[in-house]
Amino acid sequence: MKLRILLADDHEIVRRGLCALLQKHEGWEVCGEASDGREAVEMAKRLKPDVVIVDIGMPHLNGLDTTRQLLQHDPAFKVIVLTITDSDQVIREALNAGARGFVLKSDAARDLVSAVEALQSNRMFFTPRVNDLVMAGFLDKGHAITRNEPPDLPILTAREREVTQLLAEGKSSKEVASLLNLSTKTVETHRSNIMRKLSLHSIRDLVVYAIKNNIIQIQMPPHLNGTTEGTMA
Amino acid sequence: MAVRILLVDDHPVVRQGLRTLLEGRSEWEVVGEASDGIEALEKVGSLQPDVVVLDVTMPRMNGIEACRLIQQTTPGLEVLFVTQHDSPQMMREALAAGARGYVAKSNLARDLLEAVEAVSQHRPFTALARNPQVQC
Repeated sequence: MKLRILLADDHEIVRRGLCALLQKHEGWEVCGEASDGREAVEMAKRLKPDVVIVDIGMPHLNGLDTTRQLLQHDPAFKVIVLTITDSDQVIREALNAGARGFVLKSDAARDLVSAVEALQSNRMFFTPRVNDLVMAGFLDKGHAITRNEPPDLPILTAREREVTQLLAEGKSSKEVASLLNLSTKTVETHRSNIMRKLSLHSIRDLVVYAIKNNIIQIQMPPHLNGTTEGTMA
Repeated sequence: MAVRILLVDDHPVVRQGLRTLLEGRSEWEVVGEASDGIEALEKVGSLQPDVVVLDVTMPRMNGIEACRLIQQTTPGLEVLFVTQHDSPQMMREALAAGARGYVAKSNLARDLLEAVEAVSQHRPFTALARNPQVQC
């Protein structure tokens, strides 16, 4: 029986590339594709894939919260997180969310097949940098990466995180209510609670919070003044 | 004669996705790939493509700078930007650098084939995800 894989990434071009990569492997089948986290959760519940590959930066529901919801529904789900960054915070959140694999998008062509093979054998797969951080955590008990320490931030509920992401993406309370099948009043209550818990005073503050805490991701454009930011010195 | 296309993006998985979409057309041929602006310039010289499909944000040299240099060294070579920067300002900069086309990655499957067809025939093509037809 083929290993069934569900892909979740908001860019179809990336999904096509991942599909082409994975389907070269005899014995694997991409059983579904989702373009945002909510769709991924719904499809995973319906299709029951063996492995779910989620991009961290997806609209409506990001990859970390998708992972949390999947595992809350069924702890047997095996999730690989794809990310453009391997910062300590992202790594910690992915591990705490329950991801069993962590692959940088830039290295997906090289690492994703190995990651799926690992999960197929009930092993985990992380980039070398993540392995180093996890080992450092085992060797140095002062390092928080392997301890389930809560972040130094007020904890939002899963629903509040969903609302935070949608508001940070620029949706109105009415639009959020429609997406989440809630009343506008309920969304506004969540919004008030979020702002109060986080001591925020404006949507702009909320957006900054969401970016800092990987609830939404942005990619900065290069400087356009004739210089080439990022060129080697 | 097939239209010769060079793919330039720092993510191999994106290049693979572009290739999968483009190779469905027999009149197009993906002749090579590059992962940054400097490699793109080298491959433009060695492979002589007709169209360069180019990302904006790349290491070593970004797409905008690469496009300017391509236009200086190989005028007439058509450049199509394919990028996640879904902004009119970025699009204007790209077109000012000499690109013939600009499409947002979020709607690529919808727009790419039409964009490559237009650009390969020296017609402009621009499409942002938020405003599919934006006047510059």
